[in-house]
Amino acid sequence: MIRVATDIGGTFTDLVCVHADGTVSTAKSHTTPQQFEQGVMDVIKGAGLTPSEFISFVHGTTIVINAITERKGSKTALITSEGFRDVLEIGRGNRPDYFNLEYQKPKPFVTRFLRREVPGRINYKGEETKALDLSDLPAILDDFRAEGVEAIAVCLINSYANSAHEEATVQRIRELWPEVAVVGSYQITREWREYERTSTAVLSAYVQPIAHRYLDNLTGRLREEGMTCTPYIMQSNCGVDTVHNARQIPITMIESGPASGVWGAAILGRLIGESEVIALDIGGTTAKCGLITGGEVTLNTNYMVEQTEVFAGYPVMVPVVDLVEIGQGGGSIAWIDEFNRLHVGPQSAGADPGPVSYGIGGTEATTTDANLALGRINPNYFCGGTIVADMDGVNKALDKLARQLHISRQETARGIIRLANNNMVNAIKLISVNRGHDPRDFTLIAFGGGGGMHACTLAKELGIKKVVIPHLSGVFSAWGMLLSDLRRDYLQTQIVEFNSPEAAQQMSDVFAALEEQAYAEFEAEGIDRSRVSFMRYGRFRYQNQEHSTEIDLPNGPITPDMMDAISEHFHVNYEREYTYRLDAPIELVTYHLIAIAEVDKLKPQPLPPTNARLEDAIKGQRQVDFLEEGVHDATIYDGAALYPGMQFEGPAVVEEAETTIVIPPAMSCEIDEYGNYQILTAPQGGSNA
Amino acid sequence: MPKHYDPITIEIIQNSVQAAADEMFAALRRTAMSAIIYEVLDMGTGITDRNGEIAGSGAGIPAFVGVLDKTVKRILAKFDQPGDIEPGDVFITNDPYNGGVTHLNDMVLTMPVFADGQLIAWTANIAHWNDVGGMVPGSMSTEATEIFQEGMIYPGVKLISRGEPIRSVFDILTANCRMPDYLIGDLWAGIASVRVGERRILEIANKYGVDVFLHALDEYMDYGEQVILNALKKLPNGVYSLEEAQDDGQIWKVTVEITDNEFIVDLRDNPDQNPGPFNMSADDAIIACQIALKNVTVPDRIANGGTFRPLKVKLRHGSIFNPKYPAAMGIYYELSIRLHDLIIRCLAENMPDQLPAGGFASICGTLFGGIHPDTGRPYAVIEPELGGWGGSPRGDGMPGQFSAFHGETYNCPAEVAEARYGVTVDYLSFHDEDGGAGLHRGGKGVRIDYRIRSDNAWLTVAYTRDKVPPWPLKGGQPGSSNHVIIRRADGTQERHAVVSGLTLNKDDVIQIMTATGAGWGDPMERDLELVKEDLKNGYITLEQANKYYGLDKRSA
Repeated sequence: MIRVATDIGGTFTDLVCVHADGTVSTAKSHTTPQQFEQGVMDVIKGAGLTPSEFISFVHGTTIVINAITERKGSKTALITSEGFRDVLEIGRGNRPDYFNLEYQKPKPFVTRFLRREVPGRINYKGEETKALDLSDLPAILDDFRAEGVEAIAVCLINSYANSAHEEATVQRIRELWPEVAVVGSYQITREWREYERTSTAVLSAYVQPIAHRYLDNLTGRLREEGMTCTPYIMQSNCGVDTVHNARQIPITMIESGPASGVWGAAILGRLIGESEVIALDIGGTTAKCGLITGGEVTLNTNYMVEQTEVFAGYPVMVPVVDLVEIGQGGGSIAWIDEFNRLHVGPQSAGADPGPVSYGIGGTEATTTDANLALGRINPNYFCGGTIVADMDGVNKALDKLARQLHISRQETARGIIRLANNNMVNAIKLISVNRGHDPRDFTLIAFGGGGGMHACTLAKELGIKKVVIPHLSGVFSAWGMLLSDLRRDYLQTQIVEFNSPEAAQQMSDVFAALEEQAYAEFEAEGIDRSRVSFMRYGRFRYQNQEHSTEIDLPNGPITPDMMDAISEHFHVNYEREYTYRLDAPIELVTYHLIAIAEVDKLKPQPLPPTNARLEDAIKGQRQVDFLEEGVHDATIYDGAALYPGMQFEGPAVVEEAETTIVIPPAMSCEIDEYGNYQILTAPQGGSNA
Repeated sequence: MPKHYDPITIEIIQNSVQAAADEMFAALRRTAMSAIIYEVLDMGTGITDRNGEIAGSGAGIPAFVGVLDKTVKRILAKFDQPGDIEPGDVFITNDPYNGGVTHLNDMVLTMPVFADGQLIAWTANIAHWNDVGGMVPGSMSTEATEIFQEGMIYPGVKLISRGEPIRSVFDILTANCRMPDYLIGDLWAGIASVRVGERRILEIANKYGVDVFLHALDEYMDYGEQVILNALKKLPNGVYSLEEAQDDGQIWKVTVEITDNEFIVDLRDNPDQNPGPFNMSADDAIIACQIALKNVTVPDRIANGGTFRPLKVKLRHGSIFNPKYPAAMGIYYELSIRLHDLIIRCLAENMPDQLPAGGFASICGTLFGGIHPDTGRPYAVIEPELGGWGGSPRGDGMPGQFSAFHGETYNCPAEVAEARYGVTVDYLSFHDEDGGAGLHRGGKGVRIDYRIRSDNAWLTVAYTRDKVPPWPLKGGQPGSSNHVIIRRADGTQERHAVVSGLTLNKDDVIQIMTATGAGWGDPMERDLELVKEDLKNGYITLEQANKYYGLDKRSA
């Protein structure tokens, strides 16, 4: 009777297990890139578990994003509409590195020879204006075979409005060449914009053979070992899905790891009564942040692979948790440019050689090293006491920078942390203020190895009143997986003029059709419709505007008398986001239906009460540098000895085996009933920011 | 004794100013009403210091980076009495003769930031408005002879006073526009954006102190100058000159002098001002030079007041690059890209192992409109086009991207265009026209076919590089040509590069052809395997492979 989540990361495959009595255990083993499923089996064995005992098994994997970024997917071809062969290569024509005369565009994943056209045309209203002609298809497929093609994407113009031509093309390919992996864009998304949809279909096809092999091998091995429960695969939309569905459209796994972290933050927020949450995951190389409003995770369908400030990247038009990711983590390297200015990251010392303090060859100061030098991390309890921090090395590396900058070692270390914090503050602004939200209205839930180290200072800078560092923050993403439901997002672009008399009926019809589609898909996998619930959203805009605002819509039939309320709901949301409203007609552009089937999942329980005393958790006192707030004598607590109900004030540091929580002066911390650290950044009633 | 400032704080302030400019950009993009702003991103945001020197720019297009400082300086000069500029004010200008820099369609909003009772900075943005009045819809006409025909002029006026909108100015704005709904939407988007910037700057100044904030901006300018000076020292000193024939037969001339600490562009010996709209303001001529300077020195995205200190530009009043009022200048952008290309060519022909060959180098500004056949509402398209870039010493040119004038600019998807404008996009891919052969090929130009679906539509285009093709380097082949072919429903065809208000009817097709970039190096020296691969991929035809790359002879 155990619930297990496993998560394949770059270096380690993690496992979290919740036993029948509610106790939690974790395990790690090395990731095995040759055969990823081996690492999963290893970690299960290493944890002493037998798959036959599993009542639920959720799995997250980076296999899809790795195959793309390492260019290890299958040889892929594309069938598109006549006249549109080069859409994939042209992209949107943008040059983000705009002063660079030799900017290099994203190289298409399908070479031009393998991009082929078929005659036939659907117009934007979904009407056929030219019949589909597949007479050239056999010859095209012969070329593909000769080239060693393993996967084919099909994306035709206006298939978002009517997928008949695309479906017929996919069907014909399956008849002519049953062995080849093939995907039509309609199977993934019904949103408009041909470049984005084509890119999505191509990338999905590109990873399909690898994902098929992987998922089949993994489930095969687990079944052999006696697992009887239905395995679920973590998705980028914060839900899980069946292996069957994940096989069809593997691209939806693309950001499953970060999604489960943000999802964990959303669930934790609901548990402790916080509906407005900024989730922050600080790891060794990157920091990622996501936004939760009204208890719901924010999703986007404009995800980009490999996009940077100076590179356009590749679009993937599937619902992905809205993330901002920056190259700032514990291993980020501090460096000085030719103009004697200090920078931190995005280069990371990684796990090997790692920060200087690891003592295994690193010579360049990192954020972690600076935290050690400032007493924020305990050099005598580094990595839970498993590593003796090389402080001589750290001091040497900092002194090298300090000499160049003509400032003290301490100022240098502070500078590194302050710059890292500034970069993270700007990332949090991108996910909040640049999306129209005020961070002061949010609670910051921070996790990952570095979450507790930086969160309080970031919160103060942003005017955030409360910080929560979750219990088990080191394995928080995997915990999130155990709390996910089966979820599918259906998006359909179809413009409805809101003031037309048929609008209500049109909306009812489209939602009803999407809901029937969802029921049918779930039922085909043995999930009864009674378990399925829906959430409806619509992306609305003022007529002729492009960018839309997504608002929630009522379930059931939509009748004309509801339209005024819906339109007012839009105006209010729009005004909140954009500061004004217009007296202009509105349009519904894209329907968004979320179908959720509850699965038997973990129900978090409060920790049992204890008689433990706070004094017994105190390890001692230490001089800790709180940056702009100066150096203070801080109380050091042993995280393992802190229990619900305990309260204390900063300046303080909590030391856990996998993380350190730095609590600046004038902040107060309370352990809640679930073992989370709830930190108020200003004395109660003292701030009206 | 100079006060000591903490270098980390100074750097954090500079980063935060840049973040504020990015936030202003996001705010403007999210809220703008017109596709040309939010989708083509024909917009820019910036923060200047109290004197109007640019301190941070929102991503957008390089041609807009250097605009906003010039506006602020003009507002400062004009509103020079005590009480003229107050907290909460917003100013508006589009007058290229008065700090508006570009053309009347580009509206600049700017807002002073006050802290501790003193002016500490300005926030500003620029965006292309669909229509500002004038003789034709869309306001830009190739037939305008005075600026008055290009729209209503707002010569730097107060729009909002101490936070209160000035009703009369709003009324004048909406009354002088064919699409007032768009105008109001875009106007409020711009106001929201400068206000967001003001709030951010105040937060920064209040946190670190006004004195530290002001010092951080001063130091940032000096840093910008140092970066450029270091790079200038790496360029070969010399005086470089070029004369280039234009499509209309005129000869343009440039002399660039590079020293260790100066980059001097002399444009005095150029044609007298154009009787039509083919002129650009002095301010804008300077911006074209600024872009070129960035391109050949440090092409990263940092550009501030200090960056351009080494630049000197010499202009002649009464010439196309600094015309006398009231010359029209609606098509300034095409002169801007031409001038930029002229400077780059002048340098590239002298440094062919460092710089790429010429690309399509035109905005290919395309305006068309009419009645949407399904909704019955009028539509108007204003878009730059994608074309091919030149081959470089390091590799083939890029295909299908916007010119050096643009940057983070997005084309309109065919699916969106079909729904929004009620036209049919028959084709959106590369073409096979001759051009760009080289050791390193030019990038492919693009063909787009828009089929018009209702009668009485109109088309205005003003392309260059039609007759005079993109320039090659080191024995490469020139690129192809930018032009439009009108394929009438009756089977006849016309070819245009510059035309205004051409009438189109149902089933007429606008076939846009942008140039393939020029080649770099002798095509006969291109690796035969690459030639075969290009042929297989259809980047070149068999005829081109044989004729320019000698595939048949070299394989034999």
